[in-house]
Amino acid sequence: MIEIKNVTKTYGKKGSTFQALKDVSLTIPDGASVAIVGKSGSGKSTLMHAMSGLDRPEAGEVIIDGVDILKLKKKAVDTFRSEKIGFIFQSFFVQANESCYDNVSLPLEISNSKASQRKVRIEEALATVDLSDKLKQKARNLSGGQKQRLAIARAIVNKPSIIFADEPTGNLDSTTGEKVEDLLFSLNKKEGSTLIIVTHDTDLARKCDVQVYIKDGQIEQTVGLAASTAGKEHK
Amino acid sequence: MKTIDIVRRAARSLRSAKTRTILTSLAIAVGAFTITVSLAVGEGARQYADNLINSNVNPKALFIVKDKTLFEGGAQRAAITEYNPDAAQTAAGATIVSMTQKDVDALSARSDIESVVPTYNPVVRYMTFDGSSKKYSADVSTYNDSILSESAYGSLPPQNQQLGDTDAVVPEAFVDTLIKAGVIKEGADLVGKKVTLTAVQATVTPTTDQISAAFATGGQAAVEDLVKPQTKDFTFTIRAVSQKSSSALTGVTAVQIAPNAARAISEFITAGTNEYQKYLGVTALVKGDTDPQKVKEALNNAGYYTQTAKDLQGLIFTVVNTLQGIVLGFGIIALIASVFGIINTQYISVLERTREIGLMKALGMRGRSVSRLFQFEAAWIGFLGGIIGAAIAVVLGVTLNPWVTSVLGLSEGTKLLIFQPLPIAGMIIVLIFIAMLAGWFPARKAAKLDPIEALRTE
Ligand SMILES: Nc1ncnc2c1ncn2[C@@H]1O[C@H](COP(=O)(O)OP(=O)(O)OP(=O)(O)O)[C@@H](O)[C@H]1O
Ligand SMILES: [Mg+2]
Repeated sequence: MIEIKNVTKTYGKKGSTFQALKDVSLTIPDGASVAIVGKSGSGKSTLMHAMSGLDRPEAGEVIIDGVDILKLKKKAVDTFRSEKIGFIFQSFFVQANESCYDNVSLPLEISNSKASQRKVRIEEALATVDLSDKLKQKARNLSGGQKQRLAIARAIVNKPSIIFADEPTGNLDSTTGEKVEDLLFSLNKKEGSTLIIVTHDTDLARKCDVQVYIKDGQIEQTVGLAASTAGKEHK
Repeated sequence: MKTIDIVRRAARSLRSAKTRTILTSLAIAVGAFTITVSLAVGEGARQYADNLINSNVNPKALFIVKDKTLFEGGAQRAAITEYNPDAAQTAAGATIVSMTQKDVDALSARSDIESVVPTYNPVVRYMTFDGSSKKYSADVSTYNDSILSESAYGSLPPQNQQLGDTDAVVPEAFVDTLIKAGVIKEGADLVGKKVTLTAVQATVTPTTDQISAAFATGGQAAVEDLVKPQTKDFTFTIRAVSQKSSSALTGVTAVQIAPNAARAISEFITAGTNEYQKYLGVTALVKGDTDPQKVKEALNNAGYYTQTAKDLQGLIFTVVNTLQGIVLGFGIIALIASVFGIINTQYISVLERTREIGLMKALGMRGRSVSRLFQFEAAWIGFLGGIIGAAIAVVLGVTLNPWVTSVLGLSEGTKLLIFQPLPIAGMIIVLIFIAMLAGWFPARKAAKLDPIEALRTE
């Protein structure tokens, strides 16, 4: 379970400060698929960064599996991310000069997993995203959709409990995008990992269990599971 | 993240930027090449000098003088010094305290010294060969019996056995000239031939009493006789013609004779002067197993100045080390230049890979691991540069060695460039560390990147 309590994030210093998140609270149950929807600049990515331990809001709590990650030391947060979180980005961020195999291997290396287990897990992850035949190919030779599937393989290889996807289909055409979406949802159902998608796309948002609408750094509305409506109470 | 995984990623990342990697390591290779050559030259020169000394200086030999300045290569002397009746004048006009016969006798009497041979100075005016009236200038030196030399014609006495007092050894260099002059038909003819060395006594200004006495007995002619320089012929039989050797220090153009004969000549030419039986120094051999260093200390306490064969070696090594140091210096300058090359390329690499660094940090990679990734890349560059430089130096050195040997006129098989694996390996390890040190600044920049900022970079 992810519990966000009264999180506030301010950018900038002194004279020119900007509050990107204003006292945000939200609860996401395990295994749910959540869409964070809102206009450009509304604070979606900022919220995602706060939830994943990439960023440190100056106030509030982010409690994941009972631990407030904002109170952890930097090293513990890094370990937390490497073990429990998978990331998928709009512009893929695959390592173009590395092979597909080595791209997927990266999270395993970072989390110090046993070398003997790596091969099986990498091959499994690549099979899941249907890229088994590209194992030895350099990532730069892949198409956009294949790159995003490679990024998904990299995100799931460590079997994380939460996967964050920031505009995962933003750079893909609609058919390819749909394939990627289907892949993400099937993983969410099969593996039971929590899926949090940041998106503009209302069609994609509708496919999720929960939709969180965000505007000017505040949660406007939460639609879906009853448990997650707790986010509205601050209003 | 495990070190092995970081090293592998570093190597892969360099492989995907081959041109950049090779160019950067070439800068280091220049330094590595120079250092490898300086190591090889130093070792080669040391071994050569060692060989030279071993075949020319008996390890038991001591060179003993009474004047310290002889060992100091003309170190400062006071402009005016007290008169010393035992002192001899050098050509430069400096006063040198000589050894006297009394010193020689005292040294011979010591229980730790086997034999004492003063350095005679047998200067002759000219030499003539039997059957020819042609006069040739000649250098004469004392035959060194502690070295086994080789003869071109005739036979030399076995090691540690002196020539007979009327024996002479002439250098092979004489042969061509003498054949041209018609003195001999071939080199072998020299063996058994007589050679006469003509020495001239130093003139001594006669006293007024001597002049009046001479005038009284023999008139004008007797006085002229008194001031006319005396000459004397010393005749020797050539026993052998010595072969020239690359590792011989003795002058190749000297006629070698026994110490007794050398003494006779030098005593004749100095008779009546204050140089008579004065020597710049003596060569002594220590007895049996006595440590030359111990004898040296005892002699120094007794007011002498002594050099052992080891000291002489040290002297030559100092020269070699200085030369090696100069070459090494150039290598180090090249390395310093290459350090900036590494810092520069690694900084560019960090900038190019900002998003990659951001991604790795987002995935939970520690800043320390990111830093090590870049440092290991620098280490690979250092390793590569070291290997390339050392390999070129070794290949070049091994192919050029025979050529260097022939150009310098060294004997067959002498190597002036000697490559040893251990110092080269040591150098490569040092280069790796230097490269990592240079990579530290860019690596720190990479480690400090904020992942969110880095991922935002387009
Ligand atoms: N480092 C920063 N310094 C100052 N302001 C920032 C910084 N990062 C984000 N912001 C501001 O915070 C607000 C929220 O940004 P955020 O990236 O979360 O928007 P978003 O909802 O993800 O938009 P988009 O859909 O375009 O990605 C924006 O107004 C943005 O300008
Ligand atoms: Mg965004």
